[in-house]
Amino acid sequence: MKRSFGSNSSNNSGSGSNKKSKKKNNPSNQKTLGAAWGAASSRSSFRSAPFSDFGSYMEVKNRKLQNQFETEASATSHGVSGSEKLIFQGVSIFVDGFTIPSHQELKGYMMKYGGRFENYFSRRSVTHIICSNLPDSKVKNLRAFSRGLPVVKPTWIVDSISANRLLGWVPYQLDQLNDTQPKLSAFFSPGSHLTPQMASPVTSCQPDTGYSEAEEGSSIRAEDSEEARDNVNDEIDGVFIENTTAELTEETGTGDLKSSETNPERLCNYDIEEKEVTSEIQSTTNLHSASDNKSFHANGKNAGKATVAGSSTRRHSTLEDPNFVENYFKNSRLHFIGTWRNRYRKRFHGSSNGLKWADSGQNTAEVDKKSTIIHIDLDCFFVSVVIKNRLELHDKPVAVCHSDNPKGTAEISSANYPARAYGVKAGMFVRHAKDLCPQLVIVPYNFEAYEEVADQFYDILHRHCRKVQALSCDEAFLDVSDLRDVEPEFLASTIRNEILETTGCSASAGIGGTMLMARLATRVAKPAGQLYISAEKVEEFLDQLPVGTLPGVGSVLKEKLVKQNIQTCGQLRLISKDSLQKDFGVKTGEMLWSYSRGLDLRSVTAVQESKSIGAEVNWGVRFRDQQDVQHFLQCLCKEVSLRLQGCEMIGRTFTLKIKKRKKDAEEPTKYMGCGDCDNLSRSITVPAATDDVEVLQRISKKLFGSFCLDVKEVRGVGLQVSKLDSADLSNKGSRTLKSWLSSAPASVQIEQDDNVFSAVVRENSDRNRHVAGGVSRLRESNSAESSIQSGDTNSSLPPMCHLDMEVLENLPPELLSELDGTYGGKLYELIEKKRGKRKINNSSPHVSLDGTTAGIKELKPLSVKIHGLSTSGEKEYKKPFVPHLSTARASIQHTIDMTDLMPSSLSQVDVSVLQELPEELRADVLGAFPAHRRQQSSSDVPMETCKKQDEEPIDIKGTENENGFSYRSLWFGNPPLWTEKFKVSGNCTLEFFSETYYKVAQSRPMLSPVLQHAISEIGIFHDASANDLDEAINNMCELLKQYIKLKVEGDIEEIYLCFRLLKRLAARSQFFLQVYEILSPFIQATINEHYGGSLSIP
Amino acid sequence: MNPKDENQSGGDVARTLVEFLEVAITMIVSLKAAFERRRYMNMVVQRARHPELRDYIHSAASGLLPFVEKGLVERVAVVFFSEDNVSVERFIFKLMINTSCAASVEEGQLEFALKSFLIKLSVSKSLVKPLPQSCRWEVTAYLRSLPEVGSSKDGEQWIPTDTKQWQKPPVITPVKSLNSEPLCLQLYLEHASFSERHNLVKPNQ
Repeated sequence: MKRSFGSNSSNNSGSGSNKKSKKKNNPSNQKTLGAAWGAASSRSSFRSAPFSDFGSYMEVKNRKLQNQFETEASATSHGVSGSEKLIFQGVSIFVDGFTIPSHQELKGYMMKYGGRFENYFSRRSVTHIICSNLPDSKVKNLRAFSRGLPVVKPTWIVDSISANRLLGWVPYQLDQLNDTQPKLSAFFSPGSHLTPQMASPVTSCQPDTGYSEAEEGSSIRAEDSEEARDNVNDEIDGVFIENTTAELTEETGTGDLKSSETNPERLCNYDIEEKEVTSEIQSTTNLHSASDNKSFHANGKNAGKATVAGSSTRRHSTLEDPNFVENYFKNSRLHFIGTWRNRYRKRFHGSSNGLKWADSGQNTAEVDKKSTIIHIDLDCFFVSVVIKNRLELHDKPVAVCHSDNPKGTAEISSANYPARAYGVKAGMFVRHAKDLCPQLVIVPYNFEAYEEVADQFYDILHRHCRKVQALSCDEAFLDVSDLRDVEPEFLASTIRNEILETTGCSASAGIGGTMLMARLATRVAKPAGQLYISAEKVEEFLDQLPVGTLPGVGSVLKEKLVKQNIQTCGQLRLISKDSLQKDFGVKTGEMLWSYSRGLDLRSVTAVQESKSIGAEVNWGVRFRDQQDVQHFLQCLCKEVSLRLQGCEMIGRTFTLKIKKRKKDAEEPTKYMGCGDCDNLSRSITVPAATDDVEVLQRISKKLFGSFCLDVKEVRGVGLQVSKLDSADLSNKGSRTLKSWLSSAPASVQIEQDDNVFSAVVRENSDRNRHVAGGVSRLRESNSAESSIQSGDTNSSLPPMCHLDMEVLENLPPELLSELDGTYGGKLYELIEKKRGKRKINNSSPHVSLDGTTAGIKELKPLSVKIHGLSTSGEKEYKKPFVPHLSTARASIQHTIDMTDLMPSSLSQVDVSVLQELPEELRADVLGAFPAHRRQQSSSDVPMETCKKQDEEPIDIKGTENENGFSYRSLWFGNPPLWTEKFKVSGNCTLEFFSETYYKVAQSRPMLSPVLQHAISEIGIFHDASANDLDEAINNMCELLKQYIKLKVEGDIEEIYLCFRLLKRLAARSQFFLQVYEILSPFIQATINEHYGGSLSIP
Repeated sequence: MNPKDENQSGGDVARTLVEFLEVAITMIVSLKAAFERRRYMNMVVQRARHPELRDYIHSAASGLLPFVEKGLVERVAVVFFSEDNVSVERFIFKLMINTSCAASVEEGQLEFALKSFLIKLSVSKSLVKPLPQSCRWEVTAYLRSLPEVGSSKDGEQWIPTDTKQWQKPPVITPVKSLNSEPLCLQLYLEHASFSERHNLVKPNQ
């Protein structure tokens, strides 16, 4: 309905708007509408001109859709941020059929990223056809369908968007055209880093798909060169790192990152450099000012410290230091505190969780009055830890600061009590502090020591109390309400003593009924003291307490209160809750009211899972151009990604915070500080949580772009990741065959080996010691093996001898044949031999062991010993295989006494295995034989036997056929064994089958298409002579029977199809009639066996 | 590999499967009656218009979830009975979930595979036999072993039952097969064998 309406409206001599946009877009088309329709007919497949005709209708409709698309596209691209990279510029897609994501979504993507979306196919306007599945007819007639255009999977678009560039479509070509399944070899190929689907399948390409291997090669090459470029980048990074740590001898030419000529003559010390840097900044940006930033204040002076010892020359802004972000965080105290939390959580969370504070919630609420809380705080943590081993400083005023340059523009982060006595405070500029106290000693941070002390501190706390809430690395709340038997004051002093003894730092403690009171008490108790505020004393204590000391009351709120003439908590208490809430808002009012009464409803809880993880830099941030920004963002993302990985989290929402210099703000006093800034932030939420650096980088760049800022104005950048998810939980989806392949076989193998060993150990108790040696040796080799395997899956194939035969045999035939392909067809030989061997060997008690251990095992000492022990089995085992080596068989007896790890002669070695071994390994094995044996065997015998082995398979096949071999064997391989067999059978029907199978199998390795072809070409089957007819029928029946057995479990649809096709064939050919008559009961019986019924025959 | 993870991803397959079963059962029933058109897995499917019928199908399918997750369910049958309680036609979903490799499959791929069932179902009206008057139908699940009674609340919607078998093995018409790693699903149709059907029809005539 809607469609026809649309056409009508454009029909009525053109609705005005439509016409206008037409004019705009297509000025050459300025004819009357009728004429345009006429012209349209040449484009559409319909030839006739009048308007009522479908072709002209389509023309108008197409144009209208195009216009709609364009207006929508421009709307979306403006709406979002305008900074979307138009990666699909010049790409115009046509979506065919059902796709994931749906065509609507694809259309949206194309709109957003500058591509075009065609609703109707046209060779001229469409550049790529997107579809995830094609009907058979289209696959066959691909050129007619696609007109030579690339047919690409929708993932191409999705991946391109996530890579933020137009990826080559070749790896995304539709599987059907390429091959039926993603190749297993893709898992092994070296280039496949991200997802297996993305890796370009390394396979031979089909002639009819219209794309050549060369193209693929080039795409791989491109990837390689990119990698190479990455490597180069890495190297460059390395050089930079060296530069920065290259001590005083080298200094990079000022300011300019690009012209980083080193200047070896200029041996300058830290201060000189700093001066230089500053002057450089002044000259280039003349933005020095004297205002400090509030956020800095709130955070407690920011860091980015240089060791005062001055052993390294560091560059102090994003301008000079390519590794600025890294160094920044390496030296940041805030970063230390931030990451410490993580560390703490990892260290202690498990234990507190295990205890489950089941009662903590209600209990503290119910018995609020009785609860006792200790707040414990290390005294001037950052100073005392540093000076604890420097006794000479104990009584001197000491302050910790990241830098001790004479300019004194660095901020003091912590000062000890002697220094405080002079009025030195945290957050003060060093310059001012030195004015107050000239003998002030400035010491640098020592993060390792902080970490150690913090750990010790919490160890002690957790030992004494199970309810610990860590506030920071040096400060915590303990809920001791349920430790009734211990006086809280006594407990606090015990803890404090212990802390002093262990860490060498003094701690202060405050004890109160609420967290608030405990905290306030600590404030009074400091330094190195403790104070207990009992419930009765609360009021007295609070009466004279200035309101500003309450937590949550900052300078602004304090000023407001002072304006109302409220100075102390006592005065505050006189005001009703209602009026407080009216004046200061519901929450703040409530808080003031209860705090002034010493009430605090919070209870001591364990460290909460962080809601967001991020990193922020707002010191030393100066950019010259976009490139600086990009580099900086890259580093920042790296940092954030590392933090995410550290917490084992991944997140969905990314927020970029920018500090932008206020218009009238001058350069801050604090050297390289951020000064007075506007805070901007934007966030984006992506559907899939991630911690991937590249994704982070892309998102952050995009976000940064969306601010549309002058990069010179940026003073701080932070990236925050929220909507966090635990990383291991969400990984489940991405677990692939790869991990399965790499882990399972290895473990299985080891298990089996152990079995073998235990068996042997039991039998040979007298040779225990020796065996034990063997076990450990083999274990070693096993572990090496498995590690190789897991490593190898990404890069190269594991050697054939590492494959676990049992696993191989249980693989589905398709998978197996693919694997076989990667091994150049050798796998089948190996399997066939194994199989034959097992058949023959089934009288031996060790069959299963022999059969299941991989080839290499046979060469290893212990399995050889098994052979030696079960002499009877051994003989049987050897006979059909190496009958020509009978001379050596006498040595079997000999082996029983053998203590050598190697078998005594080649006769005990499975030649087939030897043959499969890589050249070097074979040489090694042969070399390891005792010398006298080698003489007779090493040179000629292996060659001889190898040759014989080559002839062997045919014999084996012969015997197998007689014995009725494993039902899958005709269908082994790719192409399956039977194709080869039928090809040389001389019977034209069988030959036809083989040929047809080759043709169809590439898209579908099934029999039903072959039968279908057979029906259409039934005419050619009539020249079978009577004598080989029987054999041909037998062969055909065998083939079908095996096929049915193969499929009966999982795919009766296919069986049913074959059955009916066979029936149709039977109606036309004598040959198939016989086959049908033989097979029909067999099929029905098999189905009955599995499904308890018979197939319906129409 | 975390066993918990495996279970969860196995659950994903199970959930998709159960959802699919709900739609497929409806499709089967809809081969017999008029339903309204809906979209599922991006294709047109039928949905029962009667709320109670919808509820029945939904609760039957979703009630299966715990059993499917545990890998207990071997077959799910939609059985049509004639007036005298003789089953006339049975649609059987034979399923096997391999929970250990369920993780490696994307939901999209699974849906894609299951979609082929719905497509095939939508055109398989020709396979079904016209039913005699006043038939009824039910959903029966064949479990590998009986679940412990009251082991879970979810299972309560399902009650143990006896199943009636035809005296002779039925005639099977395969509809669709899916044979992949996490999930093997076969849908086929069972009719009474010819002789029996003859018996069955006769008394009605």
